[in-house]
Amino acid sequence: MTSRVIRRNSIRRRLLLFLIPSLLLLVVGAAALTYYVALHVATFAYDRSLLDPALDMAANVRMEPEGPRLAMLKQAQEALLYDHEDTLIFQIRAPGGAVIAGDEDLNLPPNLVPGERSFFDSRYHGEPVRVAAVRSNSGLYVQVAETLHKRNRLIWEILAAGLLPALLIALATLALAWTGVARGLAPLAWIRTQLLGRTPHDLRPLDEHTTPVEIAPAIEALNRLLAQLRESNEMQQRFLANAAHQLRTPLAGLQMHLELLLRRDLSPEVREEIAGMHVATVRAGHLANQLLALAKAEASMDDSGRLATVDLHGVADHAVQEWVQRAIARDIDLGFVLEHATVAGNAALLGELLDNLLDNALRYTPRGGSVTVRCGSELGSPYLSVEDNGPGIPESAHGRVFERFYRIQGTPGDGAGLGLAIVKEVALRHHGALRIERPNGNDNGEGTRIVIRFPAAAPEST
Amino acid sequence: MRILVVEDDSLLAQGLTRVLARAGHAVDKAEMGVQADKALRAASYDLVVLDIGLPDIDGFEVLRRLRLRHAGANVLVLTARDAVEDRVHGLDLGADDYLTKPFSVTEFEARVRALLRRTSLPAGAVSIGRLTIDVEAKLIRISGTPIELTVREWALLELFMARPGRVLSKEQIAQQLADYDSQLTTNAVEVYISRLRAKIETAGVHIRTVRGFGYLWETSND
Repeated sequence: MTSRVIRRNSIRRRLLLFLIPSLLLLVVGAAALTYYVALHVATFAYDRSLLDPALDMAANVRMEPEGPRLAMLKQAQEALLYDHEDTLIFQIRAPGGAVIAGDEDLNLPPNLVPGERSFFDSRYHGEPVRVAAVRSNSGLYVQVAETLHKRNRLIWEILAAGLLPALLIALATLALAWTGVARGLAPLAWIRTQLLGRTPHDLRPLDEHTTPVEIAPAIEALNRLLAQLRESNEMQQRFLANAAHQLRTPLAGLQMHLELLLRRDLSPEVREEIAGMHVATVRAGHLANQLLALAKAEASMDDSGRLATVDLHGVADHAVQEWVQRAIARDIDLGFVLEHATVAGNAALLGELLDNLLDNALRYTPRGGSVTVRCGSELGSPYLSVEDNGPGIPESAHGRVFERFYRIQGTPGDGAGLGLAIVKEVALRHHGALRIERPNGNDNGEGTRIVIRFPAAAPEST
Repeated sequence: MRILVVEDDSLLAQGLTRVLARAGHAVDKAEMGVQADKALRAASYDLVVLDIGLPDIDGFEVLRRLRLRHAGANVLVLTARDAVEDRVHGLDLGADDYLTKPFSVTEFEARVRALLRRTSLPAGAVSIGRLTIDVEAKLIRISGTPIELTVREWALLELFMARPGRVLSKEQIAQQLADYDSQLTTNAVEVYISRLRAKIETAGVHIRTVRGFGYLWETSND
C-alpha cells in the first residue's frame, strides 16, 4: 500500500509561506542597499587617504636635465607607502608614458589633464586594487595602488552591523508568527471543546459574543445551521407527537367498542375474531403512546437548562397506583424498596422512564413472578432500578435491547420494542449510565435487573 | 347518578355513554368546551368525564371554571396528550382522577365506580362482599354478626373506604392515624393492618400488601 501524505490546509503554513519569501526579499534588499552604502563610505574614506601619498610623490619629483627623477629616500618612500593591512604600490610615468619610478606592472592610467586627479579600480598581478592617479602640472603621472583588504573589511563590517539585526528581526518575526497563529487560533480550540462536549441532541447556539470578530461570521453561520437543525428536529418531533396524539382518540373509541362487543353473547368464531382485533387495537394504542413518549424525550433534550431537583422516591410513588393494578391483573407481585435520592432532571421524563421499565418487566415476567422497583444511593450516586425474575435477557442481546423496534427473537408478548429505547433516551438525557444486570443474589441466570445510575450531583432538597 | 360526558370524538363519546348508561346512570353529552361549561352551570352532576383536547376551550379551562364555582362534582380527566404532564396539571386544577387514551372499558368502569363511591360514602350502610359497614353508626357486620373494632382500626377502615381502589403507603397511613394519638411508626401500621385483616377477612374482603410500599383495599369484585 502506498502511503500518501495528504497535506491538509493549514493556516500556519499559509502564513509562513507568505511570510518567509517576503522576509527573505526584505533581507536581500536591505543587504544590497547596505552593501552600496558601505561601498560608498569605504571608497570615499580610503580614496582620500590614498591620494595623499600620490600628491606627496608628485611634489617630490625633480625635473633634472636628464629627465624627471623622484627625489625621495627609500625609507621615506616606504614610510609613505606603509600600511599595516594593505600593500601599496606606486608608479611614476613620464608624460610620454615611460615609467621613471616605482613598480612597472601597474597599468597605464587614464588620460588626465595636468592638475587633474582620478580614482579607479584596476588589477595588479591579478589582484584587484584601487588606484589614485594624479597628473602634475609638469605632465607626470603619479599612481598609487592599494589592495582592497581594509576596504573589504570595512564593507563587511558595515554589512554585518546592518544585516545581523535584520536577520534576527526576520527570524523573530517568523517565530512570533508561529506562536501568534497558535494564540490567535485559541478561540477555535475553545469552540472545538464546546462542540465535542455536546450530545447529538444539544443544538443550542454557540456564544457569538465571546468569540473574536474574525471568526464571528463562521460562528454565526454555524449557529444558523444549528438553528435550522433544531427547527427541523422540533418540527419532526411535533409531527410525531401530533400524529400519536391524533391516533389515540380514535383508537380509544375503537378499543372501547370492541370491548363492549366482547361483552355480548357471541359465537366462539366471532369472539375469536373480535378478540384478535382487540389485541391489535391495544397494541396500536400502546405504540402510539410510546412514540409520543419517545418524541417527548428527544424534544426535551434541547432544553437541558430546565432541570429541577427530582426525588426518585417521588417518581416511584407516582407509578405505584397504576402499576400495582396492572401487576395484580397479571398476577405478578410488584414490590418496592425505596429510599430518597435526588437527581437533577425532568420528573415527567423520569416517570416515563420508570413506566417503560415496569411495562417491560410486567410484559416479560410470567404469571406468579415478582417485579421489584428500587431507588436510592450507591456510593453517593442515585440509582433507579427495576428487577424481575422472568426469563432474563440473553447476554447476546444486551447491546441491542435498547435499540428502537428491537425485540428478542422468540419472545412472547405484544411489545413494539420501543420501551427500552425510551428508557435509554431519558437516561441519556439525565447523563445516567444504563446497565443490564442480574438481580442481587441470583447467579443462576434467572431474571433481569435494569439499573440507571445517575451522576452524583443534586443536593438533598428539603 | 348523573354524569356528564365531555368528549368531541363521537365514537368514543358514544361508547362512554353506553357504558355509563348500562351501569344505570343518567348521562348527558357535550362535544364542545363551551357547551360543557353551560351544562355544568345549569345542572349539578355527580361526575364529569372530561376530555382535555376539545375543539374550542380545552378541558382544563372547563375544569378551572367548574372549580372556580366551587362545584363539588368529581372529575375524571381523559387525556390523549402527555400523560404525566396532563395528570399533574389536571390534578392541580382539581381533577379527581385521570385516564390516558386509549384505556380499557374495565379500567374506565373501575375508576368511575371508585369516584362515585367517594360521593356516596357517608350515606348509610355500605356492603362489600359479606361485610356491611355503617359509617354513621360506626358499626360493621359480617353476615349480620357485629364485629368490634378499636378506634385505630375504624380510622384505618375509613381511610381505605375514602380512597377505594387506591394504594395507600405506610407513611400515608401512619400520618393519617397519628391524628388520634401521637406519632405512629410504620411498624405499628403493619400491626393495625394485620389486626384489621384478621377481623374482616372472613367476610371475603382483602387488604392486599404492596411489598415495600403499603396496602390496597381490594374492592374490584363488588
